[in-house]
Amino acid sequence: MTPKIRKYINGSVKICIRGAMPEKFINLCVAERILLWGLSKDNDDLYAWIGLNDFYHIRPLVRKSCTKVTVKAYRGWPFLAKRILRRKMLVLGAMMCLITVQIFASYIWFVDVVGTKATSPLRITEVAQQYGLKPGVLKDNIQSKTIENAILLAIPEVSWVSVNFTGTRVVIEVVEKTFPKQEDKAPAHIVADRDGIIMEIIALAGQPAVKKGDTVRKGDILIKGFAPTVPPAMPGQNASIITPPQLVKASGIVKARVWYESYGESTLQQLVTQRTGRQEMELLLHLGGHEVALKRAPQPPYELYESEIIHKTLPQWRNSQFSVESTIRVYYELQSSSHEISAEQARDEATARALQAVQQSIPENAQILARNIEILKLNEPNLVRIKVGVETVEDIGTSLMISQ
Amino acid sequence: MQRRQKSILQNIANRLDIPQDIVLDLPRITMLGNKQLLIENHKGIIEYTSSLVRVKLNQGELFIHGHNLLLGNLQTEQILIEGTIVEVKYDT
Repeated sequence: MTPKIRKYINGSVKICIRGAMPEKFINLCVAERILLWGLSKDNDDLYAWIGLNDFYHIRPLVRKSCTKVTVKAYRGWPFLAKRILRRKMLVLGAMMCLITVQIFASYIWFVDVVGTKATSPLRITEVAQQYGLKPGVLKDNIQSKTIENAILLAIPEVSWVSVNFTGTRVVIEVVEKTFPKQEDKAPAHIVADRDGIIMEIIALAGQPAVKKGDTVRKGDILIKGFAPTVPPAMPGQNASIITPPQLVKASGIVKARVWYESYGESTLQQLVTQRTGRQEMELLLHLGGHEVALKRAPQPPYELYESEIIHKTLPQWRNSQFSVESTIRVYYELQSSSHEISAEQARDEATARALQAVQQSIPENAQILARNIEILKLNEPNLVRIKVGVETVEDIGTSLMISQ
Repeated sequence: MQRRQKSILQNIANRLDIPQDIVLDLPRITMLGNKQLLIENHKGIIEYTSSLVRVKLNQGELFIHGHNLLLGNLQTEQILIEGTIVEVKYDT
């Protein structure tokens, strides 16, 4: 224990020593092994700190040295304890506070479920509830191990679960099983999902219906969902038996060239609107069925404006009977200015728009072969029209169930 | 007689490598810059003001001049003087 802490616990007193020879008092204290510290002198008064225990024993020394001692200040635990004891209600209140916090902290207030993807968290909380885990129960009554096991048994999709307490919150952490994807085994054809010219066809299952270089339209069958015909073992028996074709799910890769086209335009004169920064606000208060305007804006507020509406409502539990709502409508003044751009800029802008439009219809895995940008020459001085053609190679096959 | 005894003691202390302050009952004065002065083995305070401290020693007196002098720690064996020390003077 450091001397400072010991001094604090024992308590210390600042005394003022007044008299002809304060030094004599100091020497007497030193001789009596009484510890003094923090001595300072202000004119004729000598101030010193002394331990509370020693303070009770200095009376004979004061007499002997013919000085007068007065207490100027005190600090330390004994004095604090005295003050606290004088205010019993404060202590009682502090203790009540601590006890209340302790009581409230020993109950569960929230139950959270983390990590669910396919299963709904409600199912897990339901199971937990059956085993007594719900908001408002004592924490000590919860056996997390049994709840974990119960959840594992009740919900087969869950592969691992842990119930954790963090304060008054219970976090049920769940890891779901990942099931292998169920493959559809129903017989199906592969059909084209867009027009194109076949570049390559590899049938993994089924019979190819088209060959390289064919032009197909959307919906044409590319690979038939029939088992490939087995060449007859004996050439002689060929004609007599005709078996109905066996249906399979066709699969394969069908690469085709596909063309996309799109169009974009841009004017040289462009109208730009900007907020000027000036704004008007309108404040409406809804009380029950009535509407009170606290602040109105002139209608119309500006020549050119846009408005924003902010709704403010009280939380649901306070709004059950009597609805109180406020609406704030803010009008921003706009300024329009026309601004001219060069023909080159306009062309770039139009091209960007056209490309953006075409980009949406091209699938991600398509390989782009060529892109040609064409400026449409029409006799319009203020307008640039752009036509964009994109040529890609992509897999155009999609499965189509064979209806039986 | 006393003087002779002292010189004998000093001689012995020198030969045996014993610190002299223990043998001869001398004060040990430690200074930390001009901020702190620790006097061990003193014989009491004679005078104390914020600009002058007089300490009685075995052999004479020690004058400490300075500003805002405080006695930090006062015990039988040692005195700690804090403040700005300007001058330390020995008076035998």
